[in-house]
Amino acid sequence: MNILTLLIFTPVLFGLIILLLPSSMRASFKYITLLATLLQLGFSIWMYLNFKTGASYAGINHEEQFQFVQKLPWISLDLGGAGKMQIEYFVGIDGISVTLLVMTSLVLVIAAIASWEITSNLKGFFALFLLLDMAVVGVFCALDFFLFYTFYELMLLPLYFLIGMWGGARREYAAIKFFLYTLFGSVFMLLVMVGLYLSVKDPITGNHTFNMIQMMNPKNYIDGSVFSILSHQTILGMPARTVGFVVLFIAFAIKVPVVPLHTWLPDAHVEAPTPVSIILAGILLKIGGYGIIRICTGIFPDVAYSGAYWLGLLGVISILYGAFNALAQRDLKRMIAYSSVSHMGFVLLGIASQTAEGISGAVLQMVSHGFLSTMLFFLVGVIYNRVHDRDIYNFRGLGTLMPKYTVYVMVAFFASLGLPGFSAFVAEAFSLAGAFKSHNVNGLLPYWMAVCGSVGILLSAAYFLWTLQRMFFGTVSLKGGDIWKIALTDINWRETATLLPLALIALTLGVMPSLVLGKINDSVLALVQFTQNVFHY
Amino acid sequence: MKYLFPDISNQLSNALGSIPFFMPEIYITVLFVLVIVTDLLFGKNSARLCRTIACAGMVVVIFKDLQQFEQILSGGHFLFGSMLLLHRTAIVFKLIIDLLSFILLLYFEWDHRLKAHKKGLSDLYTIVVGSVLGLHLMIMAVNLLSIYLAIEFVSLASYLLVAYRSENAFSTEAGLKYVLFGAASSAVMLYGISLLYGFGGTLDLFSGHMAERLAQVNTMSVSFAIVLVLAGIGFKLSFVPAHFWVPDVYEGAATPVTAYLSTLPKIAAFALLVNFVTPFVFYDHWKGFDFRLVLSAIGILTMIAGNFAAVLQSNVKRMLAYSGIGHTGFALMALVTFTPQGLSALTYYLLMYGLANIAALALANYFENAEGITDVKDYKGLGFKYPLASVCFVVVLISLTGLPVSAGFTGKLFVFSAVYSIYQQNHDVWLLALLITGALTTVVALFYYIKVPLNLFLKRTELIVSENKWSYNLVILSTMIAIALIIFGIFPDLLIKYM
Repeated sequence: MNILTLLIFTPVLFGLIILLLPSSMRASFKYITLLATLLQLGFSIWMYLNFKTGASYAGINHEEQFQFVQKLPWISLDLGGAGKMQIEYFVGIDGISVTLLVMTSLVLVIAAIASWEITSNLKGFFALFLLLDMAVVGVFCALDFFLFYTFYELMLLPLYFLIGMWGGARREYAAIKFFLYTLFGSVFMLLVMVGLYLSVKDPITGNHTFNMIQMMNPKNYIDGSVFSILSHQTILGMPARTVGFVVLFIAFAIKVPVVPLHTWLPDAHVEAPTPVSIILAGILLKIGGYGIIRICTGIFPDVAYSGAYWLGLLGVISILYGAFNALAQRDLKRMIAYSSVSHMGFVLLGIASQTAEGISGAVLQMVSHGFLSTMLFFLVGVIYNRVHDRDIYNFRGLGTLMPKYTVYVMVAFFASLGLPGFSAFVAEAFSLAGAFKSHNVNGLLPYWMAVCGSVGILLSAAYFLWTLQRMFFGTVSLKGGDIWKIALTDINWRETATLLPLALIALTLGVMPSLVLGKINDSVLALVQFTQNVFHY
Repeated sequence: MKYLFPDISNQLSNALGSIPFFMPEIYITVLFVLVIVTDLLFGKNSARLCRTIACAGMVVVIFKDLQQFEQILSGGHFLFGSMLLLHRTAIVFKLIIDLLSFILLLYFEWDHRLKAHKKGLSDLYTIVVGSVLGLHLMIMAVNLLSIYLAIEFVSLASYLLVAYRSENAFSTEAGLKYVLFGAASSAVMLYGISLLYGFGGTLDLFSGHMAERLAQVNTMSVSFAIVLVLAGIGFKLSFVPAHFWVPDVYEGAATPVTAYLSTLPKIAAFALLVNFVTPFVFYDHWKGFDFRLVLSAIGILTMIAGNFAAVLQSNVKRMLAYSGIGHTGFALMALVTFTPQGLSALTYYLLMYGLANIAALALANYFENAEGITDVKDYKGLGFKYPLASVCFVVVLISLTGLPVSAGFTGKLFVFSAVYSIYQQNHDVWLLALLITGALTTVVALFYYIKVPLNLFLKRTELIVSENKWSYNLVILSTMIAIALIIFGIFPDLLIKYM
């Protein structure tokens, strides 16, 4: 049995068990889910430890360099004159996916623990949770575009119900907004996907293929096909490859989210229950970033190269706009949601620089933000569960009331604002270094973009520290008075058990970023090499 | 007259020679007679027996259809002096029709209101079996005369079905509207046919002369005649602008009848349209009426009108009626490719649409039976009371929207790839416009389909403990269809390779 297949489908298996068990055993569902996610974590750590590094394992555009590969024929269809359709169950990982997979598995464990707070309709919740789990893990492993798309779309429905059924007051609005936004991006992705597969032929079998790695090789494109580099086709008067890139980019940019496609995010986050917020911020946003790296720049490197300025510009706008919005929020969860927009901007900036530093920084930022946003949303969930309020101005002096909690909040805040010693610092520093370097190396990004990115770090320090001051310092003064005071007990062992590892990881990655960088380095170098070589074909 | 005598023996032997290729239809005719006789012999209590006979008969007919694949190994075969054409696609269409009508025959009785009809349902089964014969003829018709007769055949049966249970003014109105609309459109079509006959001097579409002669006539007049014929076919397909009857009739008719109308005649009409356009499209010197252009434009309009109008509806049946119009537009997209690949995508898409639409209406019927509600707003919170039916509803609607993992998605993918591969060759802007509209309307479709799960699961309400009038059969049927839709969503090549 292939380890990746196990990793992907373990949760569905457990989900089926939950569906089959009678509702009278509902108390056991959360343990079953936790067991499933722990198993996944075990698998992913095993993979991480056995992951081979070195230039011959870089992956990206070399199929044989991927690890833990499984490839089975899935759908094969005779299209008459147009050849054969070849869809495969093709999973495998390289340096870029392996660290994201470990991050994903860990975040899912935390989300499973956070699901303890769910009280209604447990069977539905955990079944959907595990379905979502399968889909997000599948996205990071899939190397066949069709398989990728299937997992990508499969995330939508469980999330719709998870937000819509267990969410807050405006949950219906938030759920449908999220669903429509993402679907809007992905239906057009479907068109580009079909166009790509009709443009590409597998050199060995001669069939049209959905294999993403084959799509990266310009030699596999049929002469005169829509997306062929050499044929310079146009769609509605625009260069076809640019259209393809832009459509795919919009689909992923909605997920990231990149300003101005971010408006679903604050609503979805605010209304979603804590475990779903954790999955949204911790994993889903990374799928956007991962898609941009693997698919947008992987398949359309030429357009990514020529359009790097615009990507960088969008990244900088996201960084600044997200940060300013975060400053203006009263709702703690909304503030963190906007801080996510800001932090994910660094990912885009790093990718746009197309330097080894920038892309490493982007991947590291995704991993680091995965852990930190999980921690932040979990922390918001802690107060919200106790008093069902999270308005920043309704709390004051929490530091004396909940000292242990405050310590974790401080760790999370300082780590997020990029204090040296924590993971976000290294990640943001690398992204910015890439952006600065880009001007000299490939001339893609001007200096001012890197400067504006640095201003973003400053702003994030402002909103995090200001929030810390407003909510945690000073004398105790709560809107709910004594009732709140009693309700706001310090964190219990379950919460500690969740927060402590996250805090430790943030610190460890800050001190030893090589845990991530060591694994991704070869792939990043290969990617940079690949994007720069594309014009030589 | 004298000159015709020597021909008679030829004609007779041709007719006799055609009979072996006509077995499924002969079986349906026998089945039709059998059901009528049973009805007459056993009177009022015969409904159950009629149903059993009809269903068993349909199974036999399906087997007969399957046997026909061996008869056409060497290519298509003209029957009865080029009145009908039996070819591979026709058999696939016939199988789809027979399978769906088998499901529908099972389903009619499960509608409580239809079952309470004082005449009983025996007549209904007779009519449906008779209409299946008409549908078979529609699928195979390649002569303007047989086309017209087949369409009328099906229309008459449909009029009877729509008006079968007219308990209130609204459904009577729907029945009358349908008859008037149908009669008008078939008159228009007949006029078009007579013009085509006048211009071309032949009724036989595949004789080789039709397109050739029409190409020499004034383009405007021929186009006018073709538009008239298309209007008649369009009534059955319910594409824009021949769709105005759809919402009222679908809402007014009994739900199983709506399920019938929204699937069988539509699917057969697609087969008919394919037959009708083929001689023109494949005639190299055809310059006048651009079928691809017109059908693409109609497809785009239909997708937009159907889907956007559906957004405004709150009655489930009405919503499904408009969404059915949208699906017609989408299926037209597969048709305008005019390639074998497009045809197999079309048949796959239509089968999946038919199954999902029947299941969706069966579930709407289930809620109508159980709670007496037809408005989606009244579905509030029912997801927790009827979990299995509601989950099936979600799966079925996902398939209708076309999201993975469902058969609707694979159908959509096949249609998109068929259109794209033609676009790649000729860079026709209309095809691109079709693709983009198809993608956009998917998002619109989600917007209204999601209203059902939204009300079932997301809206909370006090659960009213009412007496459950469970209709297990409907749930079992729709669960089976939902499972089938998921299976074909994951393994579409179980089916598509035969299409």
